[in-house]
Amino acid sequence: MMKTNPIFDERLKKVQAVINHENEHVLACFMGQAVPPTYSDITLAKYMSDTEVGLKYYIDFVNRINDIAPVDCINFAYPGAHQAALSLIWWSKVKMPGEELGENDIWQVDEKKLIQDGDYELIIKEGSAAVMNRILPQIIDMKKIEQFFEYHAKDEMIAQQYTDAGYPVLNSGLICPPFETLCGGRSMTAFFMDCYKKPDLIKEAQDVMLEEQLKMIASRPDRDYVIGEWIGGWRGASGLVSPKIWDNLVWPYMYKLALALIERGITPILHLDQNWDRDLERFLELPANKCIINTDGMTDLRKARKVLDNHVAFMGDVPSQMLTVSTPDEVKDYIRRLLDDIGAKGVILAAGCDAPTGSKFDNLVAIHEVAQEY
Amino acid sequence: MAKICELLANLEMDELMETVQLDLDNGRDPVEILKECEAGMVKVGELFSAGDYFVSDLMMSGEMFKEVGEMLEPHLSGKTGDVLGKVVLGTVEGDIHDIGKDLVYVMLKSGGFDVIDVGVDAKPEVFVDALKESGAPILALSCLLTTAYDSILNTVKAVEEVGLRDRVKIIIGGGPTDESVVRYTGADAVGDDAQSAVRLCKEML
Repeated sequence: MMKTNPIFDERLKKVQAVINHENEHVLACFMGQAVPPTYSDITLAKYMSDTEVGLKYYIDFVNRINDIAPVDCINFAYPGAHQAALSLIWWSKVKMPGEELGENDIWQVDEKKLIQDGDYELIIKEGSAAVMNRILPQIIDMKKIEQFFEYHAKDEMIAQQYTDAGYPVLNSGLICPPFETLCGGRSMTAFFMDCYKKPDLIKEAQDVMLEEQLKMIASRPDRDYVIGEWIGGWRGASGLVSPKIWDNLVWPYMYKLALALIERGITPILHLDQNWDRDLERFLELPANKCIINTDGMTDLRKARKVLDNHVAFMGDVPSQMLTVSTPDEVKDYIRRLLDDIGAKGVILAAGCDAPTGSKFDNLVAIHEVAQEY
Repeated sequence: MAKICELLANLEMDELMETVQLDLDNGRDPVEILKECEAGMVKVGELFSAGDYFVSDLMMSGEMFKEVGEMLEPHLSGKTGDVLGKVVLGTVEGDIHDIGKDLVYVMLKSGGFDVIDVGVDAKPEVFVDALKESGAPILALSCLLTTAYDSILNTVKAVEEVGLRDRVKIIIGGGPTDESVVRYTGADAVGDDAQSAVRLCKEML
């Protein structure tokens, strides 16, 4: 059992109130996994590779913002063993700072066509591991995969550190819909072509992958520190794929994964990069007051409020470019205009997607300062 | 709408390839076929701008255009359609993303531009050399990382330093780019998507 404290308990209640649309005020959430080294005496490479040190720097950085204005919660925790996590869900090589990239260069996905012709059939016949186990050694040192599992075996101990610091962490896991994993492994252009040329084959492969994921979610032990889990939506965005692809290969899988998490008492946090305006109505299919949609500034939250009202909570959506090049007053103005239009009910203010490494410190603080007005 | 144009605009891949092959076998002028494909791409662009098509549709049409191009290549013997102008295109230094850039490449090519693609993670001097060598009046910079804003800035400065800025228009594009990044970097304009890159380039000629 986690040992909590009054500040954490109070903030956790606020998080639950926002999800239920019972909140009086907005929440201010920190999301900037790669930012701390920019304002600390550590390189991004060291921060990423030394998980013990990196976690300490992460919490210290959040504390620095919290000393100026309250950080009510954290979207995603310190990205320990991040390269392995991304490789496992995205099936692409992730170039890392201090390895293929400079010491302070942000990690980048080097997408190549690693899923070969015949691999969809292989997934259908033998399961996704048959393809993933072939791809992984091509994209990452397998020792890092072992280290990933070692790191996450300590999840409860790590969660205790956030609790002790007073921060509920909204996301405690990554669920990647099959569409996204296949897109990463096949590379975007080739995968999108496959979606036009052989949609039935892809659907069959995705059905196998989905079943594996549903079994995994159903069989996991309960973890009392888990609030929510992230369901990724990047390449499946409404702005990127045609309605036919979205209706057939994207939404049914996100929907079923969300239901499976809810069944386990976990809040699905649908991380929606890019523009999802076209299909906002479909989110009404999800149970009310059970989900958060986390948008990045490209989805129109004013429209989302009109369409979804209080059906889901909203998290976002200060655009990454604004955090990098704008002033704190401009950030505050953006947020005030947004909140004046959509109100505070069910709203968690945060950087859209993830604050970039070049975010101005004062711009990050501005999110938490302006939240106190609402 | 002519058949090839219509097939491309409707994203009918197999039927398009069969029709092109049949036309070639019947001795049709390959330049005419190419022009019909370009018209099909214009139609796709219109559908995209109207919100009826999405990025995946642009990609599919781009792949179809490329495949037809490969089929026509041996028959063209150097002949092409009208060229509107030249564009130097690339992803800026420190950024290895190529998908958006490649899509812009195909859309510009099918829109009648001669495109010099310098690749990804391209240093300012690579862009400058390509501009000098080609005489292109437009530079298109792709950027998917906020950390690469300074690479855009440095590229714009490099173009200024060699005295080309007066005759070269610079457009930027990619996920985290907008008007604020145009102001920060000193570029001339931002394109929201591959289709708007074509529109901007046409306006800038």
